[in-house]
Amino acid sequence: MRPFDYLEPETLDEALVRLADDPDDAVVMAGGTSLVILMKQDLIRPARVIGLRRIGELRAIGTPEGNLSLGALATHGALARSQPVRAHAAALASTFAAVATVRIREQATLGGNLAHADPAQDPPVTLLALDGVAVARSRFGERRIPLDALFADLFETSLEPGEILLRVELPPLPAGARATYQKFLPRTLDDYATVSVAAVVATDASGVCTHARIALGGAGPVPLRAREAERSLVGHRLEDAAIRGAAALAAAATDPIADLRGSAAYKRAMAGVWTERALREVA
Amino acid sequence: MPPRDGRGALIHPDLLDRPERRIDGDDKTTGAARYTADLVVPRVLEAGFVRSPYPHARIVSIDAERARALDGVRTVLTGADVRGQRLGRRLQDWPVLCWDRVLFIGDRVAAVAADTREIAEEAVRLISVEYEELPALLDVEEALRGDAPVLHPDAASYRFLEGRGERPPVPHPNHQGHVAESHGDVDAAFARAARIFEHEFTTPRIHQAALEPRAAIVWLEGDRVRVVSTNKAPFNLRDQMAATLGLAKERVVVDNGTIGGDFGGKGLSTDEFVLYHLAKATGRPVRAITRYSDELTTTNPRHSSRIRLRTGVDADGRILAHESHALFDGGAYAAGKPTVRLLVEGGVSTLEGYRVPAARHEAATVYTNNVPGGHMRAPGQPQNVFASESHLDLIARELGIAPLEMRRRNIARAGDLTTTGEPWHGPDLGALLDRAADEIRAEKARPAGHGIGFAVGVRHVGRGSTTISLRLGPDGTVEARTGVGDQGGGQHTLIQRIVAATLEIDPAKVRVRRLSTEGPQDPGIGGSRVTPVHGGAALAAARALKDKLGVRSVAEAARALAADEALEASATFDATAVDHGACAHAIEVAVDAETGAVRVLSAVLAVDVGQVINPVGLRGQLEGGFVYGLGMALTEDLALEDGRVRAANLGDYKLPTIADVPPLRIVHLSDGHGVGPYGARSAGELVNPGVPAAVANAVQDASGARVHTLPITAERVWRVLRAP
Repeated sequence: MRPFDYLEPETLDEALVRLADDPDDAVVMAGGTSLVILMKQDLIRPARVIGLRRIGELRAIGTPEGNLSLGALATHGALARSQPVRAHAAALASTFAAVATVRIREQATLGGNLAHADPAQDPPVTLLALDGVAVARSRFGERRIPLDALFADLFETSLEPGEILLRVELPPLPAGARATYQKFLPRTLDDYATVSVAAVVATDASGVCTHARIALGGAGPVPLRAREAERSLVGHRLEDAAIRGAAALAAAATDPIADLRGSAAYKRAMAGVWTERALREVA
Repeated sequence: MPPRDGRGALIHPDLLDRPERRIDGDDKTTGAARYTADLVVPRVLEAGFVRSPYPHARIVSIDAERARALDGVRTVLTGADVRGQRLGRRLQDWPVLCWDRVLFIGDRVAAVAADTREIAEEAVRLISVEYEELPALLDVEEALRGDAPVLHPDAASYRFLEGRGERPPVPHPNHQGHVAESHGDVDAAFARAARIFEHEFTTPRIHQAALEPRAAIVWLEGDRVRVVSTNKAPFNLRDQMAATLGLAKERVVVDNGTIGGDFGGKGLSTDEFVLYHLAKATGRPVRAITRYSDELTTTNPRHSSRIRLRTGVDADGRILAHESHALFDGGAYAAGKPTVRLLVEGGVSTLEGYRVPAARHEAATVYTNNVPGGHMRAPGQPQNVFASESHLDLIARELGIAPLEMRRRNIARAGDLTTTGEPWHGPDLGALLDRAADEIRAEKARPAGHGIGFAVGVRHVGRGSTTISLRLGPDGTVEARTGVGDQGGGQHTLIQRIVAATLEIDPAKVRVRRLSTEGPQDPGIGGSRVTPVHGGAALAAARALKDKLGVRSVAEAARALAADEALEASATFDATAVDHGACAHAIEVAVDAETGAVRVLSAVLAVDVGQVINPVGLRGQLEGGFVYGLGMALTEDLALEDGRVRAANLGDYKLPTIADVPPLRIVHLSDGHGVGPYGARSAGELVNPGVPAAVANAVQDASGARVHTLPITAERVWRVLRAP
């Protein structure tokens, strides 16, 4: 690893000022589980690293204004155990619990995860299906970024230089909504998903779908929503034909990258299989 | 029949039935154990290496001026400084630093010694090398074409260590090793066959993946070259360094400490040679601690293979004739192979463990511009067994015979001619197979998508010679001195227990002291050697000491010693007997037909390893061997793309985690006839070779999908299931 300066500001304002001093050569570090690896591999060479760990307010998890708010410094472990997270959607808690290993989960943070923008990661998929909105702040103010606009490309977000991710907000779910996260791990159980699917649906009293969200991980350069598949479900009962149709549309919406976990064709097919399985789970 | 060791001891001592307390256990569990990279060496410098980014290129020029000018850089060496020096375990074909051409991505062209690792790495980045790219040979068959460029035009001038001092001749200049051997009238036997089957199988490069990466420290002390290294065979390293560097053997002293796993990979050392030059140039100790990404991309992994098998059977499925053609990708250098024929010997004789009246085997290791291949836990054998046992299942299914029945009809019984042309005189393979079938409940009806697979593995018991000396002191303790280390296999505990059992004393009263290469010659760890060789020497030395005791007990003899007196005995033991350990595998899997994903549900190992010396250590070897084989079966693939290793870290190169390991049942069946001490056989390389084949066979049983290529990924199964 190359030498670098390390700063640990006490407050968010101080961190924002420090970052603004040097927005191109400084990076923000939360848990460091991804950043440090990238630095060790010499893939990024920051002159300055700004550690956020003293900024306790970024750890908060709660429902201050109706929305569930997840602080950017909350660890995966804390989120997996959080009562408000479970109450919102048990599938979200289990998504955080499915990431990597216990050592990583107690160190890696939500904000670090989202800012890393790895399309094989788990939390972005479920958060997308839950209509998550990221909140970021710079010296010049705060802005809200719907999660599907946050992920710009492979390992690239739409965060501007000088911006720090503060939290993710999740709006209340429709009454009776059901959510699931399915992670396909054909290699080892500590691997990244080959593909993953989060599905959230709600139905009315007669069983007709009123709300559908399908999000996919490992299925393109960014975590993605299968909007056509979602639209195909709304207004229909979640029966066999509808589920299969939506799964086929979801597979068609993917743009997978061939890698050690499989070819693009295989991942696309698996996106269909696991969308179908996810929808059967919540139907 | 009572257990006996073939050397006269009729009954094994009760001690051997009790679980051992490992000599190295406390230090390793408390963190007190000191590995090579932990050693505190005053004034030590850190080495860094400039590596080739091309699989094949000519070095045009090297500019190291900026690196030399960097503060904290003590010296920079390039190939020109060590021109002509090549290293290797048998054939010394690998340049200490390349001076004219680089032959794989990762080949070293320059070395730096600096005050810190960070400075060394910065210096490496500051060295610019101009290359002229040359056409790369990345495929074994391409490399064996008549018009292929010759990668080692000066091969005849390379040093070949020991033996006859001469490398066996090969038919093509890009062969590293080649053998064609046969027994029986193979063509006539094929002509008599009712059916003839032919199949091809491929396996990828995989890595030994020892937890501890390689490390080495070299310094000069008077006229001595001092070496501390993770090499598992210190005397061999000494001999290789002496040969390469032009030093008398006595001047090189290798004194290795705790080693964190080996699995065959640590038989090859590459850094120690250039560290000598760096130490000489700077007058300071210099060390290299290999990064794991360099472990995965530039050290000597298991050879990838392409194996074609042809077998003729009679109308009942009995094997009449067999033929194999195996090509192993040896990569840029043969330096990693210690064998005289420069082959991975376990890959030569396909269909081991079965009755094969006539057979012809052709096997070759081939030079390419890929990462050099080396030795890894049962070299060549997992590739062989995957091909052979898959082939056997395919034949059975074609003939409408159950795979288990096919094996029962063909398993080698005592005295049967095997595929090597030698009669079988080893464990009762039929009994092992029957027991494995019983334990997995082979006859039970299984749900759709579930299936079972079998494989049989036999592994030779190692041979060789070593010396162990014992010293009984007045305090009643015995010190056992040996040149062998303990890389985690329990070697020192084994020596301790054999000495204690033979002298009828508490094992806690036996200390094992490892000597450097200034002590008596030792062959090191490898080739399933330590139990028969070092165990045999420990037994012989203990008996020699016992003879000196006469009618006295150890305690009585100790009391008779004066404070500065000791009673000593020593034995040099040459293990020459031929023997095999054996294992029958039965594995149950579930296959997800929509995704191709394979889940291993349970596994049975029925093994014959003769008398057990270290019960806990043995369990570790057998369970560990199973998990090792599971990785090869399902996930491990050191795949190359244009000569570059794609999985350059352990996040991409997937080893099974403990959560991936299914319930495993181990059943011991022994005839007690092992040729090792007290009737022991070797165990370390016994289990892993059969696992991929048993999994592949179970996958076909469960799903109908036959996968001819390792690893058996979900996508490969899925593709076979979807094929028209």
